[in-house]
Amino acid sequence: MKKKRNAVIQLGILGFLGTAVILTMVLPQMADGRKTAVPMELSVVIRESDSGLWSNTRLGMEQAAGELGAELRFLTLSAPDDREEQAELLAREVSGGAHALVVVPADPDWLGSRLKDLAGQCPVVAMESMLEEAALTVAPDNEALGRELALAALQDWSGGAVLLLDTGENSAGVNARLEAARRTLEEEGVQTERRVAQTAALAGVLEGLVEETGAVQVMAFEPAATQRAAEAKENCGLPQPLYGVGVTAAVAAGLERGTVSAVAAWSDYAAGYLAVQGAVRAVRGQAVQAEALPFFLVRGEDIYDSDMQKLLFPVTS
Amino acid sequence: MRAFFKRFAGKIADRYRKMSIQMVISLSFTTVAVVGMVFMGLSLYLRFSTTAENLVEDSSQRVLAQVNLNLDSYLRRMMRISDTMYYRVIKNVDLAEDSLIDGMNLLYEENRDSLVSIAVFDGLGKLVSAVPLSNLKESALPQESGWFQAAVSRMENLHFSTPHVQHLFDDPDYRYRWVVSLSRHVQLTRSGATERGVLLVDMSFSGIEQVCRNAELSNGGYVYLIDGSGELIYHPRQQLIYAGLLEENNQRAASYRDGTYREDFQGQSRQITVKTVGYTGWKLVGVVPGESLAANTQQMFLFGTSLLLFSVFLMAFLNFRISAHISDPIRRLEQSIKELEAGQEDVEIEEGGCYEVQRLGHSIRSMVSTMRHLMDDIIQQEGQKRRSELEVLQSQINPHFLYNTLDSVIWMTEAGRYEEAIQMVTSLARLFRISLSRGKSVIALTDELEHARHYMTIQEIRYKNKFETKISAQPGTEGLYTLKLIVQPILENAIYHGMASAEDDGLISVTARREGMDLVIEVTDNGMGMRPEVAASLLDENRPDVRTTGSGIGVRNVHRRIQLTFGPRYGLTICSEPDEGTTVQIRVPALDETGAAPYQREDGP
Repeated sequence: MKKKRNAVIQLGILGFLGTAVILTMVLPQMADGRKTAVPMELSVVIRESDSGLWSNTRLGMEQAAGELGAELRFLTLSAPDDREEQAELLAREVSGGAHALVVVPADPDWLGSRLKDLAGQCPVVAMESMLEEAALTVAPDNEALGRELALAALQDWSGGAVLLLDTGENSAGVNARLEAARRTLEEEGVQTERRVAQTAALAGVLEGLVEETGAVQVMAFEPAATQRAAEAKENCGLPQPLYGVGVTAAVAAGLERGTVSAVAAWSDYAAGYLAVQGAVRAVRGQAVQAEALPFFLVRGEDIYDSDMQKLLFPVTS
Repeated sequence: MRAFFKRFAGKIADRYRKMSIQMVISLSFTTVAVVGMVFMGLSLYLRFSTTAENLVEDSSQRVLAQVNLNLDSYLRRMMRISDTMYYRVIKNVDLAEDSLIDGMNLLYEENRDSLVSIAVFDGLGKLVSAVPLSNLKESALPQESGWFQAAVSRMENLHFSTPHVQHLFDDPDYRYRWVVSLSRHVQLTRSGATERGVLLVDMSFSGIEQVCRNAELSNGGYVYLIDGSGELIYHPRQQLIYAGLLEENNQRAASYRDGTYREDFQGQSRQITVKTVGYTGWKLVGVVPGESLAANTQQMFLFGTSLLLFSVFLMAFLNFRISAHISDPIRRLEQSIKELEAGQEDVEIEEGGCYEVQRLGHSIRSMVSTMRHLMDDIIQQEGQKRRSELEVLQSQINPHFLYNTLDSVIWMTEAGRYEEAIQMVTSLARLFRISLSRGKSVIALTDELEHARHYMTIQEIRYKNKFETKISAQPGTEGLYTLKLIVQPILENAIYHGMASAEDDGLISVTARREGMDLVIEVTDNGMGMRPEVAASLLDENRPDVRTTGSGIGVRNVHRRIQLTFGPRYGLTICSEPDEGTTVQIRVPALDETGAAPYQREDGP
């Protein structure tokens, strides 16, 4: 009886070890199979209708997606800053099976309340503005950025009012930049004139706003507004120095030509990469750590500096 | 240390001595097999690791050689474009009379897939001609560019720049394209005179990217390209490095010569293969992460470990079974011998197992058989010896007794005491008849008592009734058997030592009774008795024989006979006190006819 029991135990151990051998052969292959079988789907919803402004960001996102085995869906709004549409798009993407959302919120406070349910279903990564429900926010320190830009404007300031273009509507990030710049300027005794404007309409209204306020300098606080303001300035031949945020190709050209005096910028490529990397990590249940994106101030003469051009113009074919 | 090994060896030796043969075989086989397997496994593992690394190294070198070939081909194509531009266009055009633009356009159109622009500058950096864009930016200062200065300072060479954003020409589409500039010093002809100039061919970065992008190394490795000073030209994650999200060990790689190296970078071990691109001094660097190599090796290690464990256990299992198969016959043989040692008689000696064990079993079997025969012989001899001894003992009846008795008969006949003489002769005849008992050694108790009674009748007549005899058997003794002639010697002793000096009041009583499984016959006299130590010494085997005037069969002989027949539990007990008398207790087993039969057979004639 005892011998039989021992034999059964021995056969059991043999079976166990045999299974271990088979598993060590099969499991790595199964793991490889799983890796290729289920691609992660990420949806990116920006707050603008023109994705051209986000091309560098998108390159970074695609790089991260490629490395981390994710598939990207890049979605724009039919009208800029349409928070309702953005919320609908996000809800649709979640119900469509998106594993994570990357969003540039049109109205962070409002969207935050709408995202409470969605954030429970899949991780959300915010860009540009802080979003309460987001697992990660990828943005520069907007207040510091606004201050730096104001200090750059102050270097060239020789008296007169500064026009602050309030184009961010409900974008907390953009507003934070504007507020920080305003405070900095006013602390230095500079008169500021804050004017609400639609980005798309800047070409038509900028001249009027400059005349109305008598501004000697103009400041914009988001890439689209900076680009539009630069175009408007060139078209209208406005002499006032323009200070902005973000470097699009047109803004870079403006910097070269002197249309734009200085911009505060960050690496859009890095921002896009970090956003997607954070989203993938959040989906995988890994720790994600929010860290403010480093930003830098660019003037026309610096744009082709070796290190600067690497940051401003992604290496593409 | 030495003491430790000695102690360890001692323990092993102790264990070894206590181990069964099966365990020794099993453990030895398993240990040898495991050591062999581990040795082989480690050898294979090391061999595999080395081979895997060599394969990766070979693979990296092959890939790098191929990329190098492609890159070289691409760069040569660019150089050919530059040569064509210089020797076919620039050399053939006098700028005072003609323009370079047609030739440049033609060349550009032919190679537009890999070119961004072709431009010719004079020695001061002033644009002579350019395609496809021809308007130099106001802010552009070509003479301050690195490519311009390299061309001017080293006129004999062609110069490849590191990638940079091309920003010389006004582009209405605001395109900022990454290019690698190929510049050279040229001689421009203007109004028949030559002057210095610089030819710039901006290669699209995509050309280099395409050459390098598809190069994949083993285990997730990659290839990047640096110039002689370590500046990145191409890297699959170039923009991440530019954005500060990633670091590459490109500066160190620039110091490597062609070959394969191992390096640790950011805590990770990597295999680096370096190949210099001809002419440019650029270096192709192949990187294979060590952890992916290690991952494969770890998988192999895990697999090997599992396989080893499985094999070891399987080996142990099979060895255990095989050793059991080998050793079971030996164990059974050992068990049989143990049983033999314990005295078991019907032990079967098995002759199983392999040849040697069969021979051993056969030998033991023969030995046991011989031993049994010898034992039987010994037993038989002992029995015969005992019988002889008994016979000798029985034959020790003193002829003196017969002589005295017959003498008494003669004397009584002469005296006319015919009745007494008849009684004496009758008792003597009965005495001898019972003594003979047809050779039986065990007789009925009644016969034994009858024998005693006749003996006492003779003695009473001889001693003129100096003593009285009472012989009785208590209930429960009916049908019991006893060794013959055990009471008479006691009575003889009682007469010669107890009654010899008695007056007419002597009494000798013989009582038989049953005590449990024993039969006890007590012979008591009221004679002079003896000291207890003298009584105790009567049965001492070492006491010298003292011939008496009795029948010749001593008390000690009776005691010895009983013990020889029935064992040491039985025999005589003598209790005596001086002037009180003596009691001799005879203890034998209470045997019925069936119980007595074996003793009859044993001692039978």
